Amino acid sequence: MRSPRIAALAAILLLASPLAACSSGPAPASTTIGIGVDLPLSGADASVGTSTLDGIKLAVARANAKGVPGGFTFAVQALDDTQQGVHNPQQGASNVRTLIADDSVLAIIGPYNSNVAAAEIPITNQAGIVQISPSAVSDGLTLGKDAAMLRRANPGVNTFFRVCTTDSRQGSAAARFALDLKLKRVYIVDDNETYGLDLANVFARDFTKLGGTVLGRDHIAPDTQDFKALLLKIKGYKPDFIFFGGTTSTGGGLLRRQMFDVGMGKLAFMGGDGIPDIAEVAKKRADGTYYTVAAPNADLLPAAKRFVAAYKAKFGSDVGPYSANAYAATQVAISAIEQAIEANGKKMPTRAEVLAKIPRNAKNEVLTPIGPISFDKNGDVRKPVISLYAIRNGRSSFIEQLNLSE
Amino acid sequence: MHEFLAQLANGVELGAIYALIALGYTLVYGILELINFAHGDVYTFGSFVALGILVGLRAAGVLHGAGLILGIAAALIAAILASALLNAGIERLAYRRLRKAPRLAPLITAIGVSFMLENLIELWQGSAPVPFPNVIPNPQLHFGALEVGVQQIVVVALAIATMIALHFFVQRSKLGKAMRAVAQDRDAASLVGINVDRTIAITFLIAGALAGVAGFVGGVSFGSAWFLNGFGAGLRAFTAAVLGGIGNIAGAMLGGFLIGMLESFSTWLIGGQWSNVAVFSVLILVLVFRPSGLLGETLPEKV
Repeated sequence: MRSPRIAALAAILLLASPLAACSSGPAPASTTIGIGVDLPLSGADASVGTSTLDGIKLAVARANAKGVPGGFTFAVQALDDTQQGVHNPQQGASNVRTLIADDSVLAIIGPYNSNVAAAEIPITNQAGIVQISPSAVSDGLTLGKDAAMLRRANPGVNTFFRVCTTDSRQGSAAARFALDLKLKRVYIVDDNETYGLDLANVFARDFTKLGGTVLGRDHIAPDTQDFKALLLKIKGYKPDFIFFGGTTSTGGGLLRRQMFDVGMGKLAFMGGDGIPDIAEVAKKRADGTYYTVAAPNADLLPAAKRFVAAYKAKFGSDVGPYSANAYAATQVAISAIEQAIEANGKKMPTRAEVLAKIPRNAKNEVLTPIGPISFDKNGDVRKPVISLYAIRNGRSSFIEQLNLSE
Repeated sequence: MHEFLAQLANGVELGAIYALIALGYTLVYGILELINFAHGDVYTFGSFVALGILVGLRAAGVLHGAGLILGIAAALIAAILASALLNAGIERLAYRRLRKAPRLAPLITAIGVSFMLENLIELWQGSAPVPFPNVIPNPQLHFGALEVGVQQIVVVALAIATMIALHFFVQRSKLGKAMRAVAQDRDAASLVGINVDRTIAITFLIAGALAGVAGFVGGVSFGSAWFLNGFGAGLRAFTAAVLGGIGNIAGAMLGGFLIGMLESFSTWLIGGQWSNVAVFSVLILVLVFRPSGLLGETLPEKV
């Protein structure tokens, strides 16, 4: 009675052993390399998240069409970090763990939001996998003590990069833009989140330094619906404009909209790259809004024009505010992976080998629609550019740009 | 002075919306001693129904002149009917079977219904906030030092008219009398020939109708509808109902206006990020020091 069972057990062991050997070996049979993505793809951030993902898809499709060394193909593995309609740090962290658990994923693009990035960086740092964000701009993600805390699992190694700029660069550019527009007296409101508060802090500091007047500041509570009490208070200060640190979904849209309900519709409204989609909530009342984007204006770069045309042809819609950044981030990741494949004798490289090929200086810059990209030791771009846009008649129009590398 | 009056007007507007929602909590509590946690989501539902009608009518191009007034009335009535039927439906399907169950059972059920409604509304309308059409022209009017928007006047006037109608219904009509009787003693009410099931169903209908009015004026006032709106607004309105004395109709109105003004003034004087703290501190203080609320009386012992 016992012998058949033992025979079966032996058979299973025999069958399993070559499989086990195979899965722990250096080069699995698979020829697919995953490009992991974590973005908010539903809820209040869905429109910016989806157009960002499309930028990634376009870069991957083009790399595959051109042919990858070693006969590999790239595949996008996108996860959504939205919970209850809003980007969620815990969900982002869990998504990144899922992506890391898949051995074929060699780089992660994302996240969109700074507070999500702060939850993810310790995990990607520990795993030693390249992570490039198209848009997370909070200073503390790459700079100073905060960044050191995020990297404490693996302090010698930086795995987090971003193709956008930082809050401090953006905030100080916004301060200069405002004064260029002859806006001198500001009331500052922020959403108390990582991104919004940082942006508002830097803007307040630099605006004062450059000679502007900060009349007052306020932070809004999450899920506030009524901003009229706050706006009535601001009205008493008679500012030239309101600066908002935050995103459309954390209150920017309703704040702008309700300005009209208390007779402040004519006042200018300015924010950072969290509010390019403000017209979706504020509709016609978005007119008179200024916002900065941490990228050169696409119309001024030939590579950008080609990108915009290709994007339109593939997806049939206009590029989103961070589509080009996402495309650039993916280009950088793909370039590093391809170099690592070549260096590894056309075989699947390790994550550390990919990390070693991330461009660090002018010599190995990657040419992208947002300009040539290489990173400094913190993971920030070496040649940042900030553009100012205004919403007029429901459309965004480019005003000016500032090159911050000089 | 100018600013004080402006904040006061804003607080009244906000308070009118909270009062309408708070009345729904208090009516249901008065008759069933149940905190209907799904009530905030009935408000959200009403908001979306009004929004849908207005967007449809605007697309059809009829929202101007007399058509505008009729369109606003149609949206308001649709929101009232839809919310009333939804609330009565919830009572019939979820709460009626549990009327004799321990108190905790319907309470937990109410929380479950709330989650279910939130997710159904998310499936229906998506998880992004939807802009509410600006249908009411909103020039600013000046009365001495007081500056108010036309929209603000419409919101407050609608809310107060609704509350007056409710007062007369409960105090003067036969059904209102039946409601008060059932609230006082369900068994005795049925002994004198009052149809208890029907009276409770009507209470839910009225509570839902009030949430529908609130959904409409809230959408107009805030300028957007979102599937989770009912959660925050519901909690504040619940606080208002407790502050006024839960089960007490005048108390819910008073509490609503007080909470609205508290939110407005705390934003003005302390800062926007503290308004929730101010509102919910009131909830804690009332529960600790005066659980029966401002106008509520300590319940006579039932024999």
